[in-house]
Amino acid sequence: MSSPIRYDLLLVGGSSSNLILAHRLLDLAKLSGLKLSIAILEKGQQFGAHIVSGAISNPHVIARLFPDYKENGFPLEGFVTDSHLSVLGADKKWDLPEKIVPKGFKKDGYAILSLSHVIRWLADALQTKAKEIPNVQLDLFPGFAAHEILYDHQDRVIGVRASESGALNDDAVYADYTCFGDKGFISKDLVAKFDLRPNPQLWSVGVKEVWEVQEDYQGQVWHTLGYPILDGTFSGGFVYGMAHKRLALGLIVSLDSQNPNINPQQRLQDYKSHPWIQKLLTGGKLRKYGAAVIPEGGFYSLPTRFAVEGALLLGDALGVLDVASLSGVDRAMETGYIAANLLHDTFLTQNFALMEHYQKQVLESFVGQDLHTSRYFREAFLENRRLLEQYLPAVTNKVDQGHPWLGSLQYGMGKPIQRTTDTIRALNLILGKTKSEEPVTYTSCHESIKPEFNPAAVAVNTKIAPEILYTRPDAVFFAAPKYHEGNRHIQEFSASTCQECIATYDKLGRTTPCVSDCTAEVHRIDSFENGRVHGMSLENCIQCRTCEIVCPRVNLRVNPTYEGSGPDFYGL
Amino acid sequence: MNSFVLIKQVPDQSAKAGVNADGTIDRAKAKRMLNPFDCFALEAALQTKRLYGATVTAITMGPPPAIEILYEAIAHGVDQAVHLCDRRLAASDTLATAYALYNTVRYAGDFDLVFCGLQTTDGDTAQVGPQLAERLQVPQVTYCESFEIQGEKLIARRVTESGTQVVQCPLPAVVTVANSAHRLAYRTLRGVQRVHQLQRDEVERNQVIQTVSLDDIQADPARCGLKGSPTIVAATEKVGEIGGKCVLFQGKPIEAMVSDLLADISLVELVQR
Repeated sequence: MSSPIRYDLLLVGGSSSNLILAHRLLDLAKLSGLKLSIAILEKGQQFGAHIVSGAISNPHVIARLFPDYKENGFPLEGFVTDSHLSVLGADKKWDLPEKIVPKGFKKDGYAILSLSHVIRWLADALQTKAKEIPNVQLDLFPGFAAHEILYDHQDRVIGVRASESGALNDDAVYADYTCFGDKGFISKDLVAKFDLRPNPQLWSVGVKEVWEVQEDYQGQVWHTLGYPILDGTFSGGFVYGMAHKRLALGLIVSLDSQNPNINPQQRLQDYKSHPWIQKLLTGGKLRKYGAAVIPEGGFYSLPTRFAVEGALLLGDALGVLDVASLSGVDRAMETGYIAANLLHDTFLTQNFALMEHYQKQVLESFVGQDLHTSRYFREAFLENRRLLEQYLPAVTNKVDQGHPWLGSLQYGMGKPIQRTTDTIRALNLILGKTKSEEPVTYTSCHESIKPEFNPAAVAVNTKIAPEILYTRPDAVFFAAPKYHEGNRHIQEFSASTCQECIATYDKLGRTTPCVSDCTAEVHRIDSFENGRVHGMSLENCIQCRTCEIVCPRVNLRVNPTYEGSGPDFYGL
Repeated sequence: MNSFVLIKQVPDQSAKAGVNADGTIDRAKAKRMLNPFDCFALEAALQTKRLYGATVTAITMGPPPAIEILYEAIAHGVDQAVHLCDRRLAASDTLATAYALYNTVRYAGDFDLVFCGLQTTDGDTAQVGPQLAERLQVPQVTYCESFEIQGEKLIARRVTESGTQVVQCPLPAVVTVANSAHRLAYRTLRGVQRVHQLQRDEVERNQVIQTVSLDDIQADPARCGLKGSPTIVAATEKVGEIGGKCVLFQGKPIEAMVSDLLADISLVELVQR
């Protein structure tokens, strides 16, 4: 029998958190001479192939690790010179005056990034760095996902299974310590096993396109509220000017919406039909499309423990994105940075008890501090649904009429005293100006969905240049998914459960959440003589995991794929 | 048991190939890949490892970057490799190539089976495998899509124009593998780990991947490269679009598609002709 594949440290996922962790650890090992072997598993065919992000990021963590990052080839799309928060009506755009833009939305000076490029660069730079450090053995495994977490008889994490030849010694990567920096594909099993998340995570899905356009918008960024989603769903859009006359634009839609039929990809098309965006895109070409989910629960969705015996959670696996400032990348990187410092000392002293400090250090860092400050951000909108259901539509309505301020007034006049106090309370919660520490309880995304929900009608601009709009099947082409023969990465647990769900939605004359909210034309309903059943075109899947999150009956599970199959997001 | 597999690095078809002024391929500029036909040969060789415990040696002839496909072969589970790398081999045609490979195979030691891809995507001759078998004076099975070894015999099913044919021959033998054979299995964790180790450790790399010159394999330089190649490339010409009109009838009931087809006069004419 062959010997097991064994490393000191195993990093699951080619994420910003794990790659920063590895960079920091290599820097420390170079100074201390610590002998260390590290393996990094990445489910995409290449590093960065499954990475989608906005991305506007505070480059402070990058600058700490690479003081020369502006000159050393680090892939930058520029720095923000002009940052706006805008409210969109169906027809007009209103840029909020500088004075009332919340601090979290002021992005001037931040780096504009294509995160997939950053990830590829970090992975390449890591290999170059490792060559200079003889005491470190670093092996990258792009095209290998973690499919199963392995435990010893005392429930200590001892590694993962990464292939399926059938011989465990050929399929498993064992390690003294494992770090999960994934988006939940495999860390969800760890969270479930140790029941780490009593309060569910709130997920959003972000759909994004990259365009080559006629004009140069580098450095200009817009975050938008309002059109096209005015049904009470927590959502927002973004338009970022990148280098070389490229634009990134996208829509982030919360999946704890009551609306069962959101169809984020088509809402993004509605977004593009706004006259302001149409104008930006005129004469341009779509280059890339992608989608990914975003953990938004924040402070109250954090796991009870950040580390278990033999493993810890980083970045999105932990859920450190700060929704108030829309920052996830630097937060994820910081968790990697903190973990690296502790792991270095742990391996140097062989004292694994040191890892107990991880949770405290993350909570004490800016990551934990900001999460704490915006702990009621999501709750403010959940507690007072009128903010998104009535107030925002009232404002967007007046934006179109040219009097944006009147929207607030009109809304307030409805029930002056109650609405004013409610709004002040909401503002305090949103801005973190409250002393309350009372925990909140979230309803998980699939339980928030109401089959009979009737979304408010939104006027979609009809004067559209059709060449800038893409149907969902056509959009899939721009995400370039590729699958090996025999791939079956989405599990449907019970066909009859799906049939019951389909019957429920058929009665209401609408389709199921999996079909409508899929970002890539995977789920469908097939009609046969003996009824209507759920079917999947897995070859289209771009692995956003939305279907698993919105399935009303928790009947789907999206697994990582084998053989590096999936989309190619490089460029997003 | 020893299995050899001959593989070649070719320009990546999906990337833009650089073309020299004289119409030959600029291999330095072109993106490179493992010849797709060789994937089937590689899988066949790895089958002998899985089923019969064979030691698999990958052999390639090519410039220094060809080591990339040897790494790829090792990632898939090949045990060791020989890289024939010599400037004097440049511009070899199939005769010269088969001669050089024949010497490399002899240098690499005793073998039971040599697997070759059907052909390459850059030369497309499908001549090297059969030529090699003739030089080695061993039986050859071409267009093989599946095989098994019974004692000292190879039983193979080969694709023919009208179907398949089952043949048997004694070992050692040369087998060219059809592209209807098993598709190459994904690279293994252990294989990828081994490649990382070889890239780090020069001593180990030189043990596992032998790089040899014409002198090492005792080949006559006069019979290699341009000098040893009787083929003369007189000229390369760009050919225009070839092929006729193609109409797809789809997405309608069969009756409607049939009447659409009949309504298409150009096709009716075509049938009458």
